[in-house]
Amino acid sequence: MDSDEETYLLLLLADSNLPTGSFVASSGLESYIKHGFSSSPEPTTLTFLRDSLTSYARTSLAFVADAHRLVSRLASSAENASDKGKESADIQQVLEELVTLDNQYEALTLNHVARRASKAQGVALLTLYSKGFTTPSNLSAYSDPKKRDNEKFMLQLLDKFKLQVRREEVTGHLPVCWGALTAALGLTLERAQYLHLFLHARSVISASVRLNELGPYNAQQTLLHAVRPLVAEEVERCKHLRTGLLDEPGANFDEMTQGPANTWPLGEILATRHDLQHSRIFNS
Amino acid sequence: MNSPPYPFADSVASPSAELKSGHGRIVVSSHASKAVFSELAATYPLKLLSPRVGADGVAVAYVLSYGGGLIGGDEVVLDVKVKDDARLVLLSQGSTKVFKMRLGTRLASSAWVDSSLASPQPIPEGSADAPTLTTQVMDYRVHEGCGLYLLPEPVTCFRDASYKQIQRFHLEDRTSSLVLVDSITSGRQALGEDWDFAKYYSMNEVWIGGKLITKDVMLLEGDREAAKSPDDSSRHRVPKRLLRDQLAPYSCYAMVLLYGPQAQETIEDIANQYKEYIVYQRRMPTDSLWSFSLLGENTADGAVVRIAGKETEVVRSCLKATLRRLERVIGVDTFRRAFA
Repeated sequence: MDSDEETYLLLLLADSNLPTGSFVASSGLESYIKHGFSSSPEPTTLTFLRDSLTSYARTSLAFVADAHRLVSRLASSAENASDKGKESADIQQVLEELVTLDNQYEALTLNHVARRASKAQGVALLTLYSKGFTTPSNLSAYSDPKKRDNEKFMLQLLDKFKLQVRREEVTGHLPVCWGALTAALGLTLERAQYLHLFLHARSVISASVRLNELGPYNAQQTLLHAVRPLVAEEVERCKHLRTGLLDEPGANFDEMTQGPANTWPLGEILATRHDLQHSRIFNS
Repeated sequence: MNSPPYPFADSVASPSAELKSGHGRIVVSSHASKAVFSELAATYPLKLLSPRVGADGVAVAYVLSYGGGLIGGDEVVLDVKVKDDARLVLLSQGSTKVFKMRLGTRLASSAWVDSSLASPQPIPEGSADAPTLTTQVMDYRVHEGCGLYLLPEPVTCFRDASYKQIQRFHLEDRTSSLVLVDSITSGRQALGEDWDFAKYYSMNEVWIGGKLITKDVMLLEGDREAAKSPDDSSRHRVPKRLLRDQLAPYSCYAMVLLYGPQAQETIEDIANQYKEYIVYQRRMPTDSLWSFSLLGENTADGAVVRIAGKETEVVRSCLKATLRRLERVIGVDTFRRAFA
């Protein structure tokens, strides 16, 4: 993918109008504020965001990376293969591994509020690929036939995964679906990880504006000056993490330095308590 | 994939099998409502004690360390097996203290067996984790119908200490029960320590019938190196964030995991307590805070409780209130010993 195409894709994926269901999630910010955790001199939102982002990056990027790798590998093998039988066996294999990753994320996410938010946004992304990114027949004149073949292949995979979600055979968590979606679209892993954290941060800022915690101009300043280095730092720190589930047996995987982890127990408690709020405008 | 071999085949290590340094083994079973330890062995710095108490079928053991603490380089490995309808309660005496490495003091790890203690060489600070990291690896097997109750005092990591704890719980099936408490405090408050350790890593895996159900991983790093960007000139300008600011105003955090038929009454009781809470806008955080989540669709799938408190005592009384129904499962005396 050339850099113009990649930039264009990033613009689309970063659009706040993208139907991903993140609009109703405050990532625990609303509960944090409600429970009296405001701070000075650094604004409450920024303090919350730092701790939330660090923990989220440490938990989710390993899954984004592994899911992305799985689907990318499949996409590139499809470009060379012509054997339909092998293709469907490959899809089946990748599906099973995606389910393994997803089950691991489920086991790692004890907080039921975070689980339901992740689940809702995950399936939204799978739907987004089929309904929002594949080429419809009436636009086929605009697209490259070879690309459409690849699309069909990716669509098969993501539709099958979505079917398993609908059948409740797997949850379909956000980081796994994000990794799969971005790989299907041809975005590089590094961009996918960066964008994932950016969108998490942006969603928190947006929630903060709606909670009247941050004004709209202040929000933009925060995004430009503070969020940028924060996201860059967390990507740098966590981009090499993985789950270890896709490793060959006997591979040297050290969970403590290379695996996912929660780094903010206070955030966990407050996010879980979201539903106890007497009045609330967010779902999580 | 890293799923463990199904651990309930009948291969028992002979009781006289040599234990490496820092290793321990507990095997408990119940016959005619009397709990019996067929194995209760440990080597320095680990120590296991069993008082002569316990209600029918309930065995109690204390897991201790010589000197009341562990230091950098210590590696403790503990294997526990609960079978034949037994219930095992594991306690500690006082919090598990973790010190940073001091040169010239004990090196109680089989990895260091050859090092010359007569003339300890200064170990360069930047060298591999081995000298400064304290590790505890525990493996628990709970057979069908049995119960394991892990109710230790919190771990306290002192200034600059590094600690890693891995606990794996293998429940044979859904008739096995488990209640696990894992907690940490901010340090020696009397010395002004306030989350001043270097690293704390705790992983708890719960497997039921060979399937991973829960994996709780917590990592607290006091001294995170600022990530460098590839060309150092555009290094990320991010002000340092201290662990104590992240975790304030609380100095003690605890987590409880509950599974199985013996824990059902407790889980239901906690759920009922929890749903009574309504939170209105607060100006300041409360002295303590707790949360409750079911791990699946209903109480039979297990539950998790997290507690934070400004003081260890506050967390302890919160734990005691939360787990009050356990009195019926492990006995009044043992319950009191756990939450004294």
